[in-house]
Amino acid sequence: MLLVLLCFGLVPLVLMGIAGFIANREAIQTRMRNVLEAMVKNRQATIELFLAEKMRQLEFAAFSHSVAQLSNPEVLEALRTEMQRNRGAIVDLGLIDEGGVQIAYAGPYKLQNLNYSQESWFQKVMVLGAYESDIFLGKRHLPHMIMAIRNRENGKDWILRATIDTDILSALVREGGLESGADVFILNRAGEYQTSYSDEHRLMEKADAAPIPLHSGVRVLEVERKGRREFLATGWLRGDSWVLVARQRAPELSALLPGHPAVVWIFLIGLVFIPTLSYFIARHRLSQFRSLENERAALYESVAQSQKMAAIGRLAAGVAHEINNPLAIIQAQVGVLSDLVGGVSDFPHADEFRDRISKIEAQVDRGRKVTHRLLGFSRRVGPELEPVDVIAALEETIGFVEKDLEASRIRVVRDYAQDIPIIRSSLAQMQQVFLNLINNALDVIEEGGELRLSAENSDGGVTVRVADNGPGISEKDLDKIFEPFYSTKSGDGKHTGLGLPICQEIMRNLKGRIGVDSTAGQGTVFSLWFPLEVQA
Amino acid sequence: MADLKVLLVDDEQEFLEPMAARLTRRSISCTTAQSGEEALRLLSQESFDCAVVDVRMPSMDGLELLRKIRKSFSNLPVVLLTGHASVELGIQGMELGAFEYLMKPVELDELLDAIRRAAQESALIPDFQRA
Repeated sequence: MLLVLLCFGLVPLVLMGIAGFIANREAIQTRMRNVLEAMVKNRQATIELFLAEKMRQLEFAAFSHSVAQLSNPEVLEALRTEMQRNRGAIVDLGLIDEGGVQIAYAGPYKLQNLNYSQESWFQKVMVLGAYESDIFLGKRHLPHMIMAIRNRENGKDWILRATIDTDILSALVREGGLESGADVFILNRAGEYQTSYSDEHRLMEKADAAPIPLHSGVRVLEVERKGRREFLATGWLRGDSWVLVARQRAPELSALLPGHPAVVWIFLIGLVFIPTLSYFIARHRLSQFRSLENERAALYESVAQSQKMAAIGRLAAGVAHEINNPLAIIQAQVGVLSDLVGGVSDFPHADEFRDRISKIEAQVDRGRKVTHRLLGFSRRVGPELEPVDVIAALEETIGFVEKDLEASRIRVVRDYAQDIPIIRSSLAQMQQVFLNLINNALDVIEEGGELRLSAENSDGGVTVRVADNGPGISEKDLDKIFEPFYSTKSGDGKHTGLGLPICQEIMRNLKGRIGVDSTAGQGTVFSLWFPLEVQA
Repeated sequence: MADLKVLLVDDEQEFLEPMAARLTRRSISCTTAQSGEEALRLLSQESFDCAVVDVRMPSMDGLELLRKIRKSFSNLPVVLLTGHASVELGIQGMELGAFEYLMKPVELDELLDAIRRAAQESALIPDFQRA
């Protein structure tokens, strides 16, 4: 029962908790994805914009100056400064002829007059006209990135090359701050870092990331790396050269629990409250069931007893009837014998003859008493209800046995309340019960003993007690004395063992109660309760 | 006291015989019948002061006989005898018009008393009401 209630109470709570947890997790993860996506989009745009701007500046510089101008280091330097103005990031500017020789250079490195004709970037820009590189070491042996524009003047090609400060990219990529646990960087197609960040990301080193396929727009995936789940947002830049990656570890379990303390408290309170309540409800219900069950069992018992008594009643009636007829015949025949000898006394053994006849008659009478008692047992309450004075009835019954009381010198002690009302009941049946109890008492009270009678108002009726100071009834017998044919007295035929069951049956018919109390060695008290009125 | 004429009705001859013997010794002339039918036949042939009828009899039971007697011999008092006492039967018997209802084995004096009282009562009924 407790288990059932517990399930009913806790299961919804737990389900709610789980639902809340799941909802929360979904919310957090969605937010994370959205943030990462936005971050990538955002920085993607920023960097593209930046690079585009630099390229335009370079273009402008290239197309609005002549070779002669650009060959002048001061002009170059001035241009470089100009380009530096917006966010810096231009390390150097160089003019390179179609042979690959750097004819003019403005910047910190000693790269003047170097020949780049063998470099792939040079070859590319000569072909394509414009070129942006990935990060590479080049002739300065430092990671850097270049943009180059080709122009033609007087039939001769020349190239204006600018070196982009890679730090700017790293700065741009991390601009705007990063959530804790998040990481942002740019990789080239080979998976090498194009941005740096402290010791974690080093330029040109291979990143610890699975190869990222080309795709359009920004894509957010959930992947597993080093045994941890993480969200990966990627967006390709500059066509297909670079990919911007933002990644963040998926939130751990503890981070997913509802943050709001109220929810946690409610959950905990529920967790404590529900089992406690369940326990008490279960216990209450169980005790209710138990008492109902007991009631039912008692009722069943009572019905079974009634049925048993009814069956015995029928049996008794049948037997009695069958015996009464032969008894009647015996009586009649003996009566004739008695008539025959009449007053004649002058035949041998006349006295003995008469004596024996009267003994036979006595036995017939005894048999009759038994059968009449049996038949009394099977009688029902007729509609013979009348006003009965209980004390008067009791006293009258005492009168029936007065001789026996005197003979045994038994004292009768009376304790009658003053205000016993007249009740509606059956006088004859009531007296039958009284007589039975008093006779039982007389059987056990020794010479000079005491018979106590009491009557009092109680519970909407009258309680009469018949007590003796005989040997009492042992506990094991006490349960059985109301059973038909159970008798603690010797089998002298005087006691049918039906007296008390008959009393019980009568009390039941009169809608009253009979009870017994006894202490071995001290005596027995029978209590009878009669209602004021017998109601059907 | 004049002889009283009583009709004894019981299915058991063993009962009728000694009973009749005892009553006869007490100046009551007894006629016996072992069934309701025989009783009715005898009643139609002679008159009686009282009938003592056993309730339980095989072919026609005492109550049935009582009904018939009340119908055809209305001023004949009937004393019912039974070995089976039930209040219902008793009440039924009285309602049907029995004079008395006694239980077997019956004390002879009790029976005699009932018979005499019954005879007295019927004697009080005026002649012109007799069947």
